[in-house]
Amino acid sequence: MSVVMAGTAAALFAIGTYLLLQRKLSRVIVGLGLLGHGANVLFVNSGRRGLPPIIGQGDPSDFADPLPQSLVLTAIVIGFGTTALLLALAYRSWLLTNDDEVEDDIEDRLVAGRGYSDLEVSDVALLVDEAEESDDIPRRRSTTGEPAVTGRER
Amino acid sequence: MSALLPLPVLLPLGGAALSIVVGRWRAAQRMVALAVLTSVAGVAVALLVAVDRDDVVATQAGDWYAPLGITLVADRFSAIMLLTAACALLAVDVYAIGQPGAERNHVGFQSVYLILSAGVAAAFLTGDLFNLFVAIEMMLTASYVLITLGGRLDQVRSGMTYVVISLIASVLFLAALAFTYAATGTINLADLAVRMGELPSGVRSALAGLLLVVFGIKAGLFPLFFWLPDSYPTAPAPVTAIFAGLLTKVGVYAIIRTQTLLFPGVLPTWLLLAFAAATMLVGVLGAIAQDDVKRILSFLIISSIGFMVMGLALFTVAGIAAAIVYMVHQVVIKTTLFLAGGMIEHTGGSSRLSRLGDMARTAPLIAVVFFVPAMSLAGIPPMSGFAAKFALLDSVAASREWWILGVAIAVSLLTLFSIAKIWLGVFWGQPDPAETTVAPGRPRPPALMVMPTALLVAATIVLGLAAGPLYDYCARAAGDLIDPAAYVTQVLGSGAP
Amino acid sequence: MILLLALHAVLGLAGLAFGARLGRRGLLLGIIGPIATALWLIAQLPGVLDGDPVVDSVEWLPALGMNLDVRLDGFSALMVSLVAGIGVAVYAYALSYFPAQREGLGRLVALLTLFAGSMLGLVVADNLIVLYGFWELTTITSFLLIGNNHRDGRARAAALQALLVTSLGALAMLAGFVVIGHAAGTYRLSAIVDDPPSGTAVEVALALVLLGAFTKSAQYPFHGWLPAAMVAPTPVSAYLHSATMVKAGVYLIARLSPAFDDVSFWRPTIVFVGLYTMVAAGLRALRQTDLKLLLAMGTVSQLGFMIAVFGVGSAESAVAGCVALLAHGLYKAAAFMVVGILDHQYGTRDTRLIPRSTSGWRLTSIVTVVAATSMAGFPLALGFIAKEEELEALIHESGPATGLAVAVAVLGSIVTVAYSLRFASGALGFLSGHGSALTADVSYGSPTTWFVMPGIALSAATLITGMVPGVLDEFITEAADALDETVADVHLAVWHGVTTSLVLSLVALLAGAALFAARGRVDPVLQRIQLSPVSSSGAYRGTLRGLNAFANRVAGVAQSGSLPVYLGVVLLTAAAVPGTLLVTGDWWSGTPDLVGTPLHIPIAAVILGAAVAAAAVRRRFTAALFLGVVGYSMAGLFVIEGAPDLALTQVGIESLTTVLFVLVLRRLPDRFESRVPLWRRSIRVTIAGVVGVTVFVLALATGALDPPTPTSDAMVAMSVPEGGGKNVVNVILVDFRGYDTLGEITVLTAAAIGMVALARAGRRKATGDEAHEDPSPVPPPVRVSRLVPLEVSMRLLFNVVMVGSLYLLFVGHNLPGGGFAGGIVAGAAIALRYISGGIDEVRRLSRGQPWLVVGGGLAIAVLVAAAPLVFGHAVMESATWALHPPLLGTVKLSTVLVFDAGVYLVVVGLVMMMFESFGDDPPPVDDDRGGIPELIQEPVA
Repeated sequence: MSVVMAGTAAALFAIGTYLLLQRKLSRVIVGLGLLGHGANVLFVNSGRRGLPPIIGQGDPSDFADPLPQSLVLTAIVIGFGTTALLLALAYRSWLLTNDDEVEDDIEDRLVAGRGYSDLEVSDVALLVDEAEESDDIPRRRSTTGEPAVTGRER
Repeated sequence: MSALLPLPVLLPLGGAALSIVVGRWRAAQRMVALAVLTSVAGVAVALLVAVDRDDVVATQAGDWYAPLGITLVADRFSAIMLLTAACALLAVDVYAIGQPGAERNHVGFQSVYLILSAGVAAAFLTGDLFNLFVAIEMMLTASYVLITLGGRLDQVRSGMTYVVISLIASVLFLAALAFTYAATGTINLADLAVRMGELPSGVRSALAGLLLVVFGIKAGLFPLFFWLPDSYPTAPAPVTAIFAGLLTKVGVYAIIRTQTLLFPGVLPTWLLLAFAAATMLVGVLGAIAQDDVKRILSFLIISSIGFMVMGLALFTVAGIAAAIVYMVHQVVIKTTLFLAGGMIEHTGGSSRLSRLGDMARTAPLIAVVFFVPAMSLAGIPPMSGFAAKFALLDSVAASREWWILGVAIAVSLLTLFSIAKIWLGVFWGQPDPAETTVAPGRPRPPALMVMPTALLVAATIVLGLAAGPLYDYCARAAGDLIDPAAYVTQVLGSGAP
Repeated sequence: MILLLALHAVLGLAGLAFGARLGRRGLLLGIIGPIATALWLIAQLPGVLDGDPVVDSVEWLPALGMNLDVRLDGFSALMVSLVAGIGVAVYAYALSYFPAQREGLGRLVALLTLFAGSMLGLVVADNLIVLYGFWELTTITSFLLIGNNHRDGRARAAALQALLVTSLGALAMLAGFVVIGHAAGTYRLSAIVDDPPSGTAVEVALALVLLGAFTKSAQYPFHGWLPAAMVAPTPVSAYLHSATMVKAGVYLIARLSPAFDDVSFWRPTIVFVGLYTMVAAGLRALRQTDLKLLLAMGTVSQLGFMIAVFGVGSAESAVAGCVALLAHGLYKAAAFMVVGILDHQYGTRDTRLIPRSTSGWRLTSIVTVVAATSMAGFPLALGFIAKEEELEALIHESGPATGLAVAVAVLGSIVTVAYSLRFASGALGFLSGHGSALTADVSYGSPTTWFVMPGIALSAATLITGMVPGVLDEFITEAADALDETVADVHLAVWHGVTTSLVLSLVALLAGAALFAARGRVDPVLQRIQLSPVSSSGAYRGTLRGLNAFANRVAGVAQSGSLPVYLGVVLLTAAAVPGTLLVTGDWWSGTPDLVGTPLHIPIAAVILGAAVAAAAVRRRFTAALFLGVVGYSMAGLFVIEGAPDLALTQVGIESLTTVLFVLVLRRLPDRFESRVPLWRRSIRVTIAGVVGVTVFVLALATGALDPPTPTSDAMVAMSVPEGGGKNVVNVILVDFRGYDTLGEITVLTAAAIGMVALARAGRRKATGDEAHEDPSPVPPPVRVSRLVPLEVSMRLLFNVVMVGSLYLLFVGHNLPGGGFAGGIVAGAAIALRYISGGIDEVRRLSRGQPWLVVGGGLAIAVLVAAAPLVFGHAVMESATWALHPPLLGTVKLSTVLVFDAGVYLVVVGLVMMMFESFGDDPPPVDDDRGGIPELIQEPVA
């Protein structure tokens, strides 16, 4: 593949990446589009260059490599399908938020922020220490939770 | 036999088309879906038997000799993955039908679900790198739809993360394909296996690395997994279950397939091991930090992926065999755990540890269907996790990679801790009255939710008891992967003019 | 033997299933287990005592040497006798201890049975991995038993602590086992002990194994979980946490010591840890007022002693250890039973509350005294024999610090004597001062005889064996011999003549008594002294806190939750990994030509210019349009590259995408206002740069290789003769690689469904279940002048374009075109209808059922793909028929064309659904005739 084409693909990838790293959804979508084009440039150039591969229109030995072409075609169509879906998703989120910021995941913020620490575990571990050196006011009830069977009851 | 190969793809596709056409008759849709998935499972069994008899079964789509057309090929590895996947898909679909909310409110569900199934099957059965791309796209597009069913705000947000990241992966995959074709002039896996050897070492390992990253994104490898725990938990339980059980494993399958077939020994062991270790550790630490059943489980998916890659990284028959056993085991129990998680949500009204409690008493059934796979995950006998984990550790010790052995052990302990956290939070103690939002006496899960989950629970026990045969089979599968000669000849040889 | 294990499993599971109904009666079910074990043991004993162990094996994972190997030799028999004998006693005891019915009781009983089974398995397992398995099973059952009364926070915490601490050891042990197994070439315990492997790896592994043993047997500094575990009901404590489970560590060390005591660190470590634990825990016991905790610490202490003794690894020590195991099991279980009885009758275990025992308590008192006697190692109780033997073993140990070890052991014994006395007097109520603090108005009932009987039985055993230890000779000999074949015939006796050990015992007894007598002065001191630098539970808690904090930090960093960050990381990795790998190997194969054709330069310029513009502009529309420009110029590039089909498809798709953008974007404020700090922008630029460079280099590296492409050449060659089409690309699409195409229209189908689902979900905001969300701007209807001439012309134009699209479909096989191109052109036509008449016009086309078009198209494609299978051909194999309809002459009908028609339909349907989704005027939700079926939640009933 020629340097120019490689450069084109690389540039498309670079610009696309730059757009992807932004919070605005519509920019992300444009960025994805550019990346896709970049990949297609790479792919269509991955084979021999030449005439359109249509039998009877020129010497087959000058034909461009048809295989990458068909693969790119498939890729383009698939890309279209997914882009449509992505747009639908964007449309939906715009309807819900009236904005196309890509918000952060709340749960993650929670974890990172308040530092969820397992109170359950550490707090009752305190109780364990009590249990270990229990010189506190004696418990009327045993920890087995058995009621004391008194003489009256029996 | 080779006539069976296309069926796991075509049947679901036909089913999908049919259930789109029958549109509004829900009963018809369900019957179609269940019939299709059942027969796929049947076909998978037949394939497994056939493959175990004569190593590799291959057919050429359109009867064009390879590498002209597209090859469909099943070896032991793909066969067992296909079978496992088919069972999981069937069980989850039944669950989805049983669960209020997910499936019955979406006319599209069954069709899309079938498309997903077709994609998964296609990914396991294809012998062509570009077709693998198409298969994964089928799977992913369906998953985009499933993960955003209902279009709630949180679903849309996390769905956005999921879709964008996956699309990036797809573009990268395309680029990788372009590079591969430019370098070798073919995209048939078997053909590639032959041609790759002729490439300059740098190019070869670059392609290996690129494909590793591409599939690593889907598999959830560190540092490419961040999207996963954000996006999975928001989907309806059955959807999350099948994503957790299957989609990541398809990524791992692709990694193992490409690395063994195309790039044997190209990537340095330490690199793969490093990826594995980081994935295990970060995954399990993330799990410990969470306060939500589904999120804890999602992070545990990650760390389990690390174990599989560890097995692959050793690049020995023992290691890969162990990895395959572990994959099968993980598909089963992760699906089960998420289904159980769905029940917890259904009955407890939430999936937050702080809002749940005492369910061992109030919902003993759920406690059981959670406890067994959880213990299996922790590697307690006689469940499948015990044999799987032991097989992995044994292979690691055999390769004398001591440090990763240490990591694996530490991760196992932390895994146990995170599971115990769920157990203490959900099934023991009492719901924190301050946080509790649900009234007591929530509905018991319907039978259609319980039945498939229970079956999967049984499956993990059976797999554990039948560890011997299972391992032997997977060892044979690993043998084929390490020495792909049979695969290549079967593909390139068959059907040539 | 294996049947026995299965029996336990069955009993346990049955108990779990029906336990709720059985309640206490579950014990009668569960006791079958221990009884069966006992009978079986008695049956096997003669053989075992003759020195031929019972061996059995079931294959499990033979390939890796993990099999269910079980082996009952003398030592296992000793352990089994503990498991079974004490098991029976505890079950019988529990019958009186528990109320007839209580929440969770059935479960508890069932778990007890499961535990008995696991413990049995542990002591007969002859395979390291299986041993580990049972080990973990005991951990889990113990976890569930401790936490059985789980609404008590203390129980939960204790359970968790026990689980984590013991599992930490267990997993380390597993790692050790695996390493040892590989060094020895087998996982068979007996084989390994016979011919122990060596090497650095093995020594590390042994250290790990020791960790497992120490945690399980609650040695310092891992002892904390055992006292905490005392929250469990007393029968559980008596069985698991004194008699059996905690001895697992002792068992393991006993098994391995003879084989590995030549390993440098083995003996010193074990002896040190054991003796330290013995003393420290003993002192801890000495200051307890809760009898149960006193016994717990006593257990820890005694375990330490046993471990130290076994650690010596000599024949003598083996004997001593065996006796000690037996003695401790007997008296400690009995002692726990006493505590349970007091607890049950008085509702307290506090020495300051228990009143003087009355006449009704005589039996209990006997049990107490006997247990204490044995505990203290007073003559005529088995404990005495044990203590003698243990001291002897230590004295004769030929180590450097023998003297010190003995001294410490004696010190430990002194403490032991003291706390034994404390226990006895506490249990008999001598420590509650004058009268008890218990409310005087109730008189406390004395325990029933049945309640005490198990204790009596155990005490009897203690006494008999203590007075005539000869009865044990054969048993102990065989047990010790199983560990260390140098063991000669053992002759246990009360009186050995005046030996050092006897003297030391007496010293211990006297000093201990003194220590107890002086408790008034000693106790305050004890309360103050800090036995270990940091309390075990404190360390445990600190570790957990630290772990949680660390996990949070990691999760916080790794999981920032922000999409841009994720994307940045992913793209950077995707660029860095291959890039580095590329340049580390050899990759440069010749400089490629600068340009393929001069035309490349202008087209590249246009593409890049548009791309930059799309990135730079501030208006959404403009950005979208520039993206479109890029797309169209891509089509131009395709033409240059000799790919007319691509160009055609690209143009069509670009148009559709643009329409889609317009339909969607009009809902949005037109400008984006984004202001980002410089540093963030620079990061973006950096990442973008890295990605770009990598792509560039990879493209050149791979592009320069220019490999032969036999596949493509063959395709060109076979296109007409085999594929029956002149347009090679199209032949590839629908024939050579039609299978790809099938997958691709599937993608379109899924996308279509998803699109509608999301858009419809959006439409339905009014229906309530999302009422909380802020109302979205009602989309403004596209203003269309309903001029009749326009309508008419549109219809005409539409028909023309449709015909054109069909033409493309049919010629596709030979000229540029085909299903996609055709379908997309048809899509353009539909767009015309939309412009003229809005969504209704579009609906009219498919009678409002576009999903039928999609589904039909997919169905056709699948049928074409599958049909050949029916006729025994390969999937998607194409066939051609020549038809001779009148007038038209010969028409060649190929299945390929049908397939392409399916593709065409799917694309058309997709476009229709596109307009369905984003076109205007949503149909009412209840509209069930026209429109697309609701793909969204029905109103909640």
